[in-house]
Amino acid sequence: MAEQQDVEISFRKDTVGKLLCSFFREDKTRLSGDAALLMAEMLNVFVQEAALRSQKQAESEDCDRVDIEHFEKVLPQLLLDF
Amino acid sequence: MSVDEDETQQRLKAALHYTVGRMCQKLGEEHHRQFSRQVIAAIAETTFRQCDIFAKDLEAFSRHAKRSTVSAEDVKLLARRSTSLSIYIQNKSEALNQDLKKKNTGKKKSRDTEEESRE
Repeated sequence: MAEQQDVEISFRKDTVGKLLCSFFREDKTRLSGDAALLMAEMLNVFVQEAALRSQKQAESEDCDRVDIEHFEKVLPQLLLDF
Repeated sequence: MSVDEDETQQRLKAALHYTVGRMCQKLGEEHHRQFSRQVIAAIAETTFRQCDIFAKDLEAFSRHAKRSTVSAEDVKLLARRSTSLSIYIQNKSEALNQDLKKKNTGKKKSRDTEEESRE
């Protein structure tokens, strides 16, 4: 368990692959292996950015807890950046 | 959507939620700030819907290139809106390619040594 804490938390390639495939309009569309790995990385960045920006917003408001209002404030810019 | 597909999607959503939760917890520990459950749920939901948009874009890109398989090139195109993100993804892609090359040469080498030992 102690070892696991040092490992960077990230999305699994299979999860991302299945998730994206479930959203494709046509059944015959496939996802290549390296595309799935890159998308996992992309989602990592997305979530890290969402969390970090919310955290920064909470910090600027001098709050100990990151709450929904902080996330609401950073959400528009986050969506414009991706 | 069929009931079965709906259930797998719910499971994937749960997996997403779990990972988002762990990421937020780790970040919160680093900055001594706790993330409320509501924020974690909201980030997970946003990520899930963003995935929908990503997937539809990727599908359109690959179709435009007359392919039926989404490739790494399509993902690079997806990251075009932000310069730093685009550079980051390109670097990752190059790193992946180099890893692949190393693996292939590694395999070749091991095969060569196997043949040598057989001889």
